[in-house]
Amino acid sequence: MSATSLIDARDVQRYYKSGATVVKALDGVTLEIRAGEYLSLMGPSGSGKTTFFNIIGALDVPTGGSVKLGERELASLSMAELSYLRCANIGYIFQNYNLVEVFSALRNVTLPMRFLGLTEAEANDKAAMLLKRVGLDHRMHHLPNELSGGQQQRVAIARALANDPMLVLADEPTGNLDTKTATSIVELLSELSREKGVTIVSATHDHRMLSVSDRVVYLRDGRVERILNRDELKISVGSIGS
Amino acid sequence: MSRNLWEIKRLRLKPELIWSMALSSLRLRMGRTLLTLLTVSACCAFLLFLLTAPISDDPADRQMWGLMITLSLLVSVAGVLNTMLMSVTQRYREIGTIKCLGALDSFVLLSVMLESALLGLTGALLGIVGGLILSFGMGLLDAGAGVFAAAYWSGLGWKILVSAFVGLALTTLGAAFPAAVAARMPPVEAMRGEK
Ligand SMILES: Nc1ncnc2c1ncn2[C@@H]1O[C@H](COP(=O)(O)OP(=O)(O)OP(=O)(O)O)[C@@H](O)[C@H]1O
Ligand SMILES: [Mg+2]
Repeated sequence: MSATSLIDARDVQRYYKSGATVVKALDGVTLEIRAGEYLSLMGPSGSGKTTFFNIIGALDVPTGGSVKLGERELASLSMAELSYLRCANIGYIFQNYNLVEVFSALRNVTLPMRFLGLTEAEANDKAAMLLKRVGLDHRMHHLPNELSGGQQQRVAIARALANDPMLVLADEPTGNLDTKTATSIVELLSELSREKGVTIVSATHDHRMLSVSDRVVYLRDGRVERILNRDELKISVGSIGS
Repeated sequence: MSRNLWEIKRLRLKPELIWSMALSSLRLRMGRTLLTLLTVSACCAFLLFLLTAPISDDPADRQMWGLMITLSLLVSVAGVLNTMLMSVTQRYREIGTIKCLGALDSFVLLSVMLESALLGLTGALLGIVGGLILSFGMGLLDAGAGVFAAAYWSGLGWKILVSAFVGLALTTLGAAFPAAVAARMPPVEAMRGEK
């Protein structure tokens, strides 16, 4: 394992038992993700992208294999240590937003900062700045159910960036956005990765997101089908003619 | 960007954050809040009424009363527990989400317990007022002017305390149990909703 590797997943399995049948959502995924890299995850629906996110993001426990985040084996961390890790170091953008329904957009964004120990004033300032960055400064005090899908998505993105995470896990972050907003989100993420060295792992069907990726990992039936580097990517995506 | 990933610190519990979570939830889920209040106060009122109601001396009467009281108490206790269980399972997803943002298990548990304790306390107060009115009405029918005698109300203080305590304990513990279960789940499992 190289010194700069941030995530080291070895033979990760996630099986779901339902009655007599076993669904192998992940069936032996081995993948090393370098610090600062922008990695896109592709694959048909049901191929295991979300499951893989949840496991490397310490939100779910694999049924087999191991995941290391930096030097720490996830399985060896206590509940409180995992909470700290999620709070301080990982930003999550979920496929279905998962905003806290009883909190305004602003308070959704301040919550992780407050957990980390920022004062209310500090957190409010930073949240306002982040919401402005995703173009939502005029909707700060609205509740999630008063916002459109794309607006909720942008709140979720601002929230994911709240504690300056070193890893951002984005599950179809542009799925519900119009082309212009989607492009600006992709640019924001790639800027974070280039300028601040944030590691981005993003599941997507969106070819715009592939062009900014350092690598693209294709999953199929819970296994890594192939991995393309940036240089191979241009040829491949070009030839598909997306 | 110079934060060291390998260094894991302790997150602190912030009381003001626990309060704000509990209060926002009470305010924004007003329908649920009122329903719970109704259930808890009905339970407390009923209990206080039973404790203060005049009981006949006829043994056959007493047996019948005892049976009815036990049954109806069971129903109202089960009602409160069920309401609290529903109110927590409804927000499994929210619990999963705030855990992703770094909520400690104790934060989840304490905010749910605080919210239900506030409900329990308010419900108990309303219930006591309701129970006293009921008892007074019954007493008036049963003992006439005798209801104004101090002796009629002997032991009222502890009866009120008992019913308030029962209401508060049922509400808080009824919520604490499912909340503790949700808090200890891996976040995705909680986010998938009630199980
Ligand atoms: N809780 C669960 N119980 C049983 N099976 C599950 C569960 N969660 C996921 N699966 C199964 O695991 C497989 C992978 O699911 P996953 O959500 O990771 O796919 P995905 O690649 O994210 O798909 P999509 O592009 O549609 O979001 C699917 O076959 C799904 O049915
Ligand atoms: Mg998915």
